[in-house]
Amino acid sequence: MVKLAYRQGILIPLFSSILAGSLIVTPILIVLFRSITTTRLGAAAGFTVENYFRVFTDPQILPMLNNSLLYAAGAAALGTGLGALLGWIVARTNTPGKALVELMPLYPMLMPPIMKNIAWILLLAPKSGILNGFLHESLGIQEQVFNAFSLPAMIWVFGLTCVPLGYLFLLPVFLSFDPSLEESAYIAGSRPIHTTLRITFPLAVPAFLSAFVLNFLRGLRSFETPVLQGSPGGINVFVAKVYDSMSIEYNPGLATAYSSVLILVSILALVFYVRATRFSERYATITGKGYSVKVIDIGKWKYATFLAVFAYFLVGIAIPFVVLIVVSLIPYYDYETFMKFPANIDISNYYRVLKHPSFVSGLYNSLFLSLAIALTTVLAGIVMAFTIYRTKIYGSKVFEFIGTMPLAFPPLVLSLGLVLALIGTPAYNTLWALGVGLFVAYFPYALRNASGAIVNIHKELDEAAWVHGARWRHVFFKVTLPLLKPTVAGALFYIFIEAIRNIDVAVLLVAPGTEYGPVTLFEYFRVGQWAEAAAGGVIYLIILILAVSIAKFVFKIKFSL
Amino acid sequence: MGRKTLLAVAVSILSVTITLGSAALAASAAADPFNKVSNELYAKAKQEGALVVYSVWDVEHIVAILGAFSKRYPGIKTNYWQGRNPEIVTRVVTEFQAGRDSVDAILSDNAPPVIRAAGAIMSYETVQKDFLVLHDPTMPIVSLQIQALTYNTKKMKREDLPKSWEDVANPKYKGNVALDDPMRAGPLSTQLAALKDLWKDDARFARFVKGLKALNVPVHKSTSAMFRLVISGEYAIAMPALLHDALTEKEKGTPVDLVVTAPPIVFPRYAGIYAKAAHPNAAKLLTEWLISTEGQAALDSVGREASRKGFQSKTSIENAYPAGTKPIPVNDKLFMEDPKKWLDINVKLLWEG
Repeated sequence: MVKLAYRQGILIPLFSSILAGSLIVTPILIVLFRSITTTRLGAAAGFTVENYFRVFTDPQILPMLNNSLLYAAGAAALGTGLGALLGWIVARTNTPGKALVELMPLYPMLMPPIMKNIAWILLLAPKSGILNGFLHESLGIQEQVFNAFSLPAMIWVFGLTCVPLGYLFLLPVFLSFDPSLEESAYIAGSRPIHTTLRITFPLAVPAFLSAFVLNFLRGLRSFETPVLQGSPGGINVFVAKVYDSMSIEYNPGLATAYSSVLILVSILALVFYVRATRFSERYATITGKGYSVKVIDIGKWKYATFLAVFAYFLVGIAIPFVVLIVVSLIPYYDYETFMKFPANIDISNYYRVLKHPSFVSGLYNSLFLSLAIALTTVLAGIVMAFTIYRTKIYGSKVFEFIGTMPLAFPPLVLSLGLVLALIGTPAYNTLWALGVGLFVAYFPYALRNASGAIVNIHKELDEAAWVHGARWRHVFFKVTLPLLKPTVAGALFYIFIEAIRNIDVAVLLVAPGTEYGPVTLFEYFRVGQWAEAAAGGVIYLIILILAVSIAKFVFKIKFSL
Repeated sequence: MGRKTLLAVAVSILSVTITLGSAALAASAAADPFNKVSNELYAKAKQEGALVVYSVWDVEHIVAILGAFSKRYPGIKTNYWQGRNPEIVTRVVTEFQAGRDSVDAILSDNAPPVIRAAGAIMSYETVQKDFLVLHDPTMPIVSLQIQALTYNTKKMKREDLPKSWEDVANPKYKGNVALDDPMRAGPLSTQLAALKDLWKDDARFARFVKGLKALNVPVHKSTSAMFRLVISGEYAIAMPALLHDALTEKEKGTPVDLVVTAPPIVFPRYAGIYAKAAHPNAAKLLTEWLISTEGQAALDSVGREASRKGFQSKTSIENAYPAGTKPIPVNDKLFMEDPKKWLDINVKLLWEG
């Protein structure tokens, strides 16, 4: 393999991919090994299959897995589908209010998922929810129309969380579209809507599937929505077993054994993705011909598309944000007190959050590390995708599985693997260990994003460079990377925003005395102080919205746009 | 009586007062072993110079408590890391196995007994044991987690309330109760461990668990979110809530109150000393200080319940409940060290049928 790589002049990307892969595989192998050698934390058991025996004879597995699959697939379909639609509207239509339309799908990404959960519970709770209360008071409807503690509500809330990823994955594809493909259809008499459905969308399949697989795996292992909305409705998902193994039994071996089911599902999802995109040339939308992206005149439908973007902006951030603002300013939430707003305004929650010892320092500390992690991860992800799809190294597809594997592990198990890998090194309890942890946690996002996008670039572009004797660095930095620019910007933005608020994977790797991320905000949610949490969330969101707006308008930074 | 005589009487009274006062002070110093041990520990702890604490408590609380400790004992640099119980257990046991000395003291409720079972806790008995509501000879109990039966005053009239924990299983409360998941290591399973130990009557315990199950109400995996839903009016009764949360909300004017006829359930919050602590004397000093009246006042100032007998605070049982209320302690060692095993033996069959 090395000889072949040397002959092809691609030793550096190959070794970079192996290095990145090793960083990911090491903690995973350690926890997998421990799942067959240990039982409860601290208890060595020699070789044992007890953990796996318990998992595969557990009668609750199938119904829970069924709930998980329905929930994850439903949310991924809703989120990725809506994200794709928004991407198409923004990139390809003459929807009015371009500046607003470009920004509206971005802002919901800034709201942490748990804030969405709390806001939507307050909106949709059967007896005490705002919407049911309003229908009852204003229209006299006695039935509880909405139920926050149901599978559709879980899919709705987590689906909204999945939209930004779908949007950021699909937008660059629609922006870098060779119009000759569509023009041929128009010449043949096809109407714009038919062309969109039969030409444009099918060509976006790799990026769509990439985002779908990622959102699906996120759904499978997501815990907040199932805990807050699922268990009160009697909907138990599979990942609860993994968490119970850690929080009741203190048995990471068993948690890993339960995770093996998620690994199998992940492998199936990735096999499906790799097979669906195996003839990558079919999906190449960026070719060697010069082009400029054509905006489609959709006539009167442009008002409908504007409304669609605006509606997403409302449900994605505006409505939950308003709910949280009101909750942060009232002494406690119930329907009656909520509706009496602005009477009884109380700003003490804001005062408490701002004087919290770690709110500002935690946010500040995580700022630079998140930026560094976003840059490193995205670059490494593109190099690995390049190795997979642009080199002829036998077996390079295995990197697809390795790079996506961290998503199959619950954060605490992954975090434990990283601790075990690093505890004997000088890096333990330093910023380096935290950096490695965040790199491993976010690598799947970078890889899936790059994989989805690179498939859309026709091989003829880099083949032309290879033929002319270019080395890999010329091909990569002068051909591939510039063509992936919109994708890179989107992925950077997404990983930065996610990494800045990560506390799950980081938690075991943070050295004593170092606050990472706005832990305060999540601490308030965790201990049930929703009013303080809402106040913290409002401050946090205002800071991020201002930062994004300044970056967009003052420094002209483009987030895929 | 002449002026000289008056002066002599005054001097005599003053001398007697001073003598008696000094004797009383000396006696109280002898009666409060904290003063003696803290002086000894402080001298050694100052040489160690640092203290690292892992805790499940809110960052706000840890910072305030360690700040007060540092002010009282200058020269000891304090540091902390905050995580949830599974994270604390995972980190401490893993560091213990790797021979690391990253931590000195662990402030938490559920985590220290599990860590102790893994051999990673240094046994230490506080010299102030006689002052404690609950005592463990190997780990000082510096605070208490107190569970209270709580209800929404807008949703349920006082006369309709359950009178005891057992009453909650009455079918008439179906649809009104928010139930913590009894199959996780949470407040309801803690309560079950306490009641089983109190009743020592398996049939009564089985009736209670089956009664709760028969209510057919949803179970919650997040007690804090469950309590919020009780406040919002989604449910009328929280089974259970934490006394500190209920009293804080009540003070803010939130429509919640306690069912004072149901005695509180008390669970220890420990200060465990790590077996390989680099600064063991500083860790011991912290635990002794936390149990002293000064430390208890620091805990009370952030809303943590006191573990010292007779310590008056808004979250003390004496303050929240009628005189003579006897708290129900959790003493089951198996439950504390291996909750999963305890649940499998005592609850699983009753709950899951």
